[in-house]
Amino acid sequence: MKRYIPYAVILGLVWCFVHGTINLNNFVLGFIFAPFIMIPFKPLYNFEHDFSVKRGIKKIPPLARYSFVLITEIIKANIVLAKIVLKPKMDIKPGIIAVPIRTKTELGTTVIANTITLTPGTLTIDISDDRSFLYVHTIDASDPDAVARSIRDGLEKYVLEAFE
Amino acid sequence: MISMFTFAITFMVLAIVPCIYRIIKGPTIPDRVVALDAMTVVIVVMLAIYSFDRGSAFFMDVALVLSIIAFVGTVTIAKYLDEGVVL
Amino acid sequence: MIVDTILEILSNIFLVIGLFFVFLGMLGLVRLPDVYNRLHTTTKIGTLGAFGVMISILLKVGFSPIGVKAITVGLFLLLTAPIAAHMIGRAAHRHGVGLCDESVVDEYGKVCTIKK
Repeated sequence: MKRYIPYAVILGLVWCFVHGTINLNNFVLGFIFAPFIMIPFKPLYNFEHDFSVKRGIKKIPPLARYSFVLITEIIKANIVLAKIVLKPKMDIKPGIIAVPIRTKTELGTTVIANTITLTPGTLTIDISDDRSFLYVHTIDASDPDAVARSIRDGLEKYVLEAFE
Repeated sequence: MISMFTFAITFMVLAIVPCIYRIIKGPTIPDRVVALDAMTVVIVVMLAIYSFDRGSAFFMDVALVLSIIAFVGTVTIAKYLDEGVVL
Repeated sequence: MIVDTILEILSNIFLVIGLFFVFLGMLGLVRLPDVYNRLHTTTKIGTLGAFGVMISILLKVGFSPIGVKAITVGLFLLLTAPIAAHMIGRAAHRHGVGLCDESVVDEYGKVCTIKK
């Protein structure tokens, strides 16, 4: 029963946002009805993971740093792509390369894959069978090592300390 | 003096034209699916602007449901192309 | 009074930037050569443009139902666009859609054929 509570809090907040008015009544309503949603879809939730408030508070500064890096990277990505689209002559060298990753948990792998998709010029296509490589389509593949290095040093560090 | 609303809606209708070109012309099936997905984003933006202009929150519900249906539809077609079955 | 004016100008700037980026994303759908490059533009530029329009609406109306629902739609688009792009990209590669002629390297091709 105790493990339902963090997910129920999240679902209550989601109900507030979907309903459109954020107040205590809506939050309590969502909180009460959350377990009825969670029981039929039990395999989707990770109940083995133990939540502790102390660990959660310790995670807040890395999460804030990760969010800041993500927002700046998204804005940079849009400016780079807008330049490519507006340039009269198309001179791109796309290609699919394999990028090694160091994350171990499923949550970390999902977050790094989605982060790569939102950053400049790269898009995740697939993951290898042993979960140690991501296949990444990049819009400028003239130097594959540079792309892998920029992902390892720029993004993976923040994901590792925020989600592992 | 044209209003901001007219400007925004006209601009978004202009943005739909390339999507329709790609849906008709697109050489492969994934091209068409990508174009449909992009067109849904444009329609969601149009619905949001219209909802703000009319001052009614119900069109925003339509936008939310439309974005959910577009996501589920895209994933379903991708799964069908990939494995040949839907479920 | 002055705060209202600043918010109005800021939200109009966000609206114009968002509309411009959405239009650029759809223009990239025509200009770029193959399906993977088109996914780049619609995923990144289209999603951020839509998010910009939603932020502009939130700045105009504040935390009323319209503004909160607008920001919900924006966050939902930001969360699901990478997943849809990943699924479509993988399905296209397995379905046999090749890369365009300008491509220089394809390290996924050999792995993909073994998997089949």
